[in-house]
Amino acid sequence: MSAQSPTQQNGSAALAPHSVEVRVAALPHQLPVLRGIAGDIAMREDFDLDSIEDLRLAVDEVCSTLIRLAMPDATLVCRYDVAESALRVVASVVSASSTGPRTDTFGWRVLTTLTSSIDSTVETRDDGLSVVQVELVKQRGTAVAE
Amino acid sequence: MTEAPNQHPGSDGNGERYEHLTPLFHELAALSPDDPEHAKLRETLVTRHLPVAKHIARRFGNRGESQEDLTQVATLGLIKAVDRFDPTHGADFLSFAVPTIMGEVRRHFRDTGWAVRVPRRLQEMHLAISSATSELSQSLGRAPTPRELAERLEVPLEQVFEGLAASNAYRSASLDEMLLDDETVSLGDSIGREEPELEIVEYRETLQPLLAQLPERDRQILLLRFFGNLTQTQIAKRIGVSQMHVSRLLSRTLARLREAAE
Repeated sequence: MSAQSPTQQNGSAALAPHSVEVRVAALPHQLPVLRGIAGDIAMREDFDLDSIEDLRLAVDEVCSTLIRLAMPDATLVCRYDVAESALRVVASVVSASSTGPRTDTFGWRVLTTLTSSIDSTVETRDDGLSVVQVELVKQRGTAVAE
Repeated sequence: MTEAPNQHPGSDGNGERYEHLTPLFHELAALSPDDPEHAKLRETLVTRHLPVAKHIARRFGNRGESQEDLTQVATLGLIKAVDRFDPTHGADFLSFAVPTIMGEVRRHFRDTGWAVRVPRRLQEMHLAISSATSELSQSLGRAPTPRELAERLEVPLEQVFEGLAASNAYRSASLDEMLLDDETVSLGDSIGREEPELEIVEYRETLQPLLAQLPERDRQILLLRFFGNLTQTQIAKRIGVSQMHVSRLLSRTLARLREAAE
């Protein structure tokens, strides 16, 4: 489960045996598909029901954030990596913004609550546009708060 | 079924079958509700009109509800119609009863939440999962995993997966419905006052007006999850609804906030 740079992910790279990668138009109507895949993988990986729901909500939040940042006609690439103890989702989009998602918002707070870790990176390409990538990890059994 | 699906049940050539019952409504209206004859006559009217209820129930068939359930609901609607019909207004009973019965059946679909077509088998699995989830959450102190549910219910894992997927269908269908509902139910008192440290979020100036617009229960659930750091299961236990319902309300609220923040 090694990380790729945003530009690598948005290009084409080899996938690990248990990884899933989908490419969709960066449009809101694709959100149910993206969270559906997250929920399905988490369910088959035997995450508890709270964690499954957390993941669905988190993917929804991440991808809608990226869709807002996306260039018109951009492609949203979303990869789901499965490891023994965690599920990682890496989503990226080509954007005119070079700052990435704001982390001082309620939406970001939602994401830090729902996930074990969350991070965003921005990589500027040669054409001046940026690839904004958000990576979230959900550890198994972390829905239990207390 | 030989009738065209959209035909009015009273106008399909059988209308005259019920015309002769009209005088009975005048008799019923003349009787005191305490009169034993009133109960008898009411029962006669309901029984004689039962084909209308069954006809309507059939039209709503194949949507994931059993025909027995639908007939029962339609009959309930028929009883309401018999009780509320006022023969002195001149309209015939059927033109009053048909919308009343259909309204009852529609309300049933709305309340049960299965607006999309989900096979009965999956609905039953959804219900079984829902109650097993509450039981297991209680004993485990956390939400169960699909494997734990399969063991408890003694069904193959794949069936649990199907049932969970059906739950999502249930959810998305009723989500749209709920967005139209203006819920004014206040659970604030049962939840208790919790206004956790909102100042953590720098942009509380923008968040707070949005939060204020939310129905009380939605707001409390949101605060408990994201500021109180309770899990969905813990919140469900606290306010006395299912974890699935908490999940449904949370995703609706987050979507609402996203839209409002645009």
